[in-house]
Amino acid sequence: MKRNLMSRLTLLLIAFVLSAITSAKVTIRLSVWDGDVALRVIRDIVKEFEKEHPDIRVLLEPNSDYAAYHQKLLTMYAASVAPDVVMMDPLYFQALAKRKALLPLNEFASGPDGVDLETYYEPLRTAMSLNGELYVLPRDIATMGLVYYNKRLFKEAGIPEPDGSWTWDFKVRPELREKDFLWVMQQLTKKDRSGKTVQWGYSSDWPELFARSLYYSYGGNFADNDERPTKVIPEQDKLIKTYGFAGQLMNKERWIPTSSELTGQLMSTTQMLFVNQKIAMFQSGIWQVPNMRKYLIPDKEGFFEWDITLFPAYKDGTRKYPSGGSGYGIISHTKHPREAWLLTKFLSGPVGMKAMAEAGIAQPAIRDLAIQPGLWVPGPNTPKVQLYPYNRIVTDTAVPFAKFEPSADFWPELWSRVASKAELVFTNQASAKEALPVGITEAQNRLNDILSERDRPQFNWTLGLLVGVGIFGALLAYLYWPTKDARKLTAREKKEARSAYFFLAPWIFGMIVLTVGPIILSLLMSFMNWDIIQPAQVRGLENYTEAFTRDPIFWKSLRVTFIYTIVSVPLGLIFALLLALLLNQRVAGVPLFRACYYIPSVASLVASSLIWRRVFQAEGGLLNSFMYSRVGELLGLKQLAESLSTNGEPLNWLGNEATALPAMIIMSIWGVGGAMVILLAGLQSIPGHYYEAAVLDGANNWKKFKNVTIPLLSPTLFFCLITGVIGSFQVFTQSLVMTGGGPNDSTRFYMLHLFSNAFQSLRMGYASALAWILFVIVLIFTALQFRLSKYVYYEAEAK
Amino acid sequence: MKANKLAVLFVLTAGALVFMLPLWIMLVMSFKTPNELATTAAWAPPGAWRLDNYREVLSNPNAPFVRFFINTLFISTVATTGVVLTSALVAYPFARLRFPGRDRLFILLISTMLLPGIVTLIPTYVLFAKIQWVNTFYPLIVPAFFGGGAFNIFLMRQSFMSIPRELDEAAILDGASNAMIFWRVLLPLSGPAIATVGILCFIYTWRDFMGPLLFLNNPDMQTLEVGLRTYQSLQSEQWHLLMAGSVLTLIPLFTVFLIGQRYFVKAMVMSGLK
Repeated sequence: MKRNLMSRLTLLLIAFVLSAITSAKVTIRLSVWDGDVALRVIRDIVKEFEKEHPDIRVLLEPNSDYAAYHQKLLTMYAASVAPDVVMMDPLYFQALAKRKALLPLNEFASGPDGVDLETYYEPLRTAMSLNGELYVLPRDIATMGLVYYNKRLFKEAGIPEPDGSWTWDFKVRPELREKDFLWVMQQLTKKDRSGKTVQWGYSSDWPELFARSLYYSYGGNFADNDERPTKVIPEQDKLIKTYGFAGQLMNKERWIPTSSELTGQLMSTTQMLFVNQKIAMFQSGIWQVPNMRKYLIPDKEGFFEWDITLFPAYKDGTRKYPSGGSGYGIISHTKHPREAWLLTKFLSGPVGMKAMAEAGIAQPAIRDLAIQPGLWVPGPNTPKVQLYPYNRIVTDTAVPFAKFEPSADFWPELWSRVASKAELVFTNQASAKEALPVGITEAQNRLNDILSERDRPQFNWTLGLLVGVGIFGALLAYLYWPTKDARKLTAREKKEARSAYFFLAPWIFGMIVLTVGPIILSLLMSFMNWDIIQPAQVRGLENYTEAFTRDPIFWKSLRVTFIYTIVSVPLGLIFALLLALLLNQRVAGVPLFRACYYIPSVASLVASSLIWRRVFQAEGGLLNSFMYSRVGELLGLKQLAESLSTNGEPLNWLGNEATALPAMIIMSIWGVGGAMVILLAGLQSIPGHYYEAAVLDGANNWKKFKNVTIPLLSPTLFFCLITGVIGSFQVFTQSLVMTGGGPNDSTRFYMLHLFSNAFQSLRMGYASALAWILFVIVLIFTALQFRLSKYVYYEAEAK
Repeated sequence: MKANKLAVLFVLTAGALVFMLPLWIMLVMSFKTPNELATTAAWAPPGAWRLDNYREVLSNPNAPFVRFFINTLFISTVATTGVVLTSALVAYPFARLRFPGRDRLFILLISTMLLPGIVTLIPTYVLFAKIQWVNTFYPLIVPAFFGGGAFNIFLMRQSFMSIPRELDEAAILDGASNAMIFWRVLLPLSGPAIATVGILCFIYTWRDFMGPLLFLNNPDMQTLEVGLRTYQSLQSEQWHLLMAGSVLTLIPLFTVFLIGQRYFVKAMVMSGLK
């Protein structure tokens, strides 16, 4: 005891001394979503900053998972422990800025430590402003109107290199020759005798980028007002025409690889096809340059001359390029706004930008730096490896044509409705005319709902606390309300009860301290409008009525989850039992076998999802290799696959509305390891003498299984069933990583819907309502199963 | 009988090969160069079994692997200890003792599994932030000592309930208290269940992404599952390094499993002694 006290005192003393030493320094926390490569550069920039400002210490908190980055930021903000300086992009900043979670920067910029905002690219500044106030100091800009092209293939086809002055139309214009984009695309496409494309003229980094570029330059807009939309896709006919046209070039003309042909490659597929000279041109942003340089090294094998140029204008000369960018903002509850600004200014200033530009990672957001020879644009002293692409000045030419997505914070939710339909068009599962209007209507309905949302009375926390205490009291009353057969306990029973509570103490303590509060709060929030950032507002029962009556995804996701549960849980249980029975045999190497069946179920999700994509991919995928083989043909699998495929190509499992969910179910079989281990332990606990007795009674193997194994294993089987159903209703990470819920929401699990509402649409109140609806559904299912539990045989039942 | 065993062995081997396929792909990818990854089939072996990727993963100062490894090992070990100790403790009265409110408390226990954690995450986080536990290991290990969650308690309860009650009664006749029955009778007979809880919990904690991601800020305190994401960012995906890292993180899990499952057999011998 004494020693303990002493060591505590010493610790306190050390802590005090340490804080005295460090208190002279201000600590600024910085959070970025950059990964390994860019992170190295940022670390150097931060070091540079600390050298220049010895009184400021910077804590870098990287989080390279883009979705998780925002989830964590919101959670930290809710607890008032968010970092001071945060990386932001035009797509996401408004959600924070609108709710005053970010500081406006104009005052800093015009203050004593100011910067000249005029030096930053104008479109980027606009994209990062709200109501005329700048909230994010831009770091880089990335227009996606760049076309990477293979000079060698152009030369071989006898076509002059493109200078960006070309145009496009909805049909090929041979008379314009190399000034017509489609003509060039057609000329550079090579097909073999069977009509299969062996070299594509063109591809965009992902299919939607091309369609979007067409739509923009055809004069289309995504919303009538980017900051405050009231109408989604005002030019619906233009969208149908351009998106349908892009689909036609992929699926009919075959000048552009289809998405199943793209998944035939391992990774960010388009660039690899380009590197391997399978695609003559591809459209993307400048961020592909480091990737290109990694594979195309001058004077090394496989190298060819390449460069970049601008995506064509529409025939009337209209140019518009989808664009992105990033920068840094300051969280409003920072304690050191001045120091946070200094860091922001430094990161998004000449020093920070130069470092990023020299590494070839990002185009500076300050124009003077972007066009300074030798920095971003190649100069006389640029080493040969960094010469490519030589024509980098077009990144500057492209900026005036940059077009950003609507910045309204709810835009991603609206767009996801349309995007899920666009996917069907690109994969030839529906025509643009049928599919897109459905998505647009869904998005418009949702937008109307958002716009009609009125301000509501703020949630009263005192009242809330009272209600919470009330709920807690009701819970206690329920637990202690005497049951029918209640009577006075005997002294022995009292003793037994007392020791029971003693054993339960850790759990009860944990429940009261950690679990009950948040659960009750989430119940309260299910009646609120709560966006995590601002105080909650009372919405009454509307969250619930919205789910049942106005949310089309609610029912669809519920259906998907039901089907998944009903198929995968019994299937998995049977499979796990069979495996456990096999692995319970006394054969050589059983421990190793057990590991072989279990370990795959725990391999890291990112790694395994990548691998699963390889299994399900259309061209050369493992599953297809089997289905389309001789054996598969004999089993009728080939015929099945062909009837399911929508474009006469090998079946693209994850991209096909009919097969994406079955693919997820197949994947779930690999996760039976957990249940297998539990059942195995259950089998091992069955005392051997039961089997011996059965043998003495002359039982055969089946009888032993039926009369000994199953009854004695039933508690464990019951456990696996209950937890399996509960787990399966809450499944979502697989679909988040593998399909994002697509195609056409066919893998949008209930939990995925809940998750995107909670952290992407910032509707935590609605998400809580969804959670409680799920709670009731699963509770009913679980209660039903407990009803069945009379078939479960317990050796010892404490009645 | 002999033929039977051979058949079992054959089925097991064939199944294991299919099951291990994703792991095989992971393994070969971890040895390939980026260029090889792009040009060869996923399951094709690498041109040479070079250790370069592993060397790079182990030495990258941006993602200090050894640091991550120690953190993960620490968190997983402590959390597993807590879960194993307390889940059996809490499960015991549910399986064996009579007390008012038992069945309702059990319903409450099961109910805590039914509500998706996403909606209780923020209040829980705020709670930990209020007591200054953010950016420490506490939120990741302390809750494990409060029963270790409904899943594990339920699992232990099921196991206790399949142990014959005559054993307790014999002990009671000998004058044993409840605590002694728990300690001397039930625990020794629950080896397989305890091993299961231990294995599952260790591996679950080892692989947890959301917990460490939210509660740890300092990159030097991160765990493997979060730390290795550095190789998979928006602009550049370094699959070869990611795979090498993933293979390395699997090795301890493999070991833990092989050690843990030995307890399955031990218990059978003991209960056979009855």
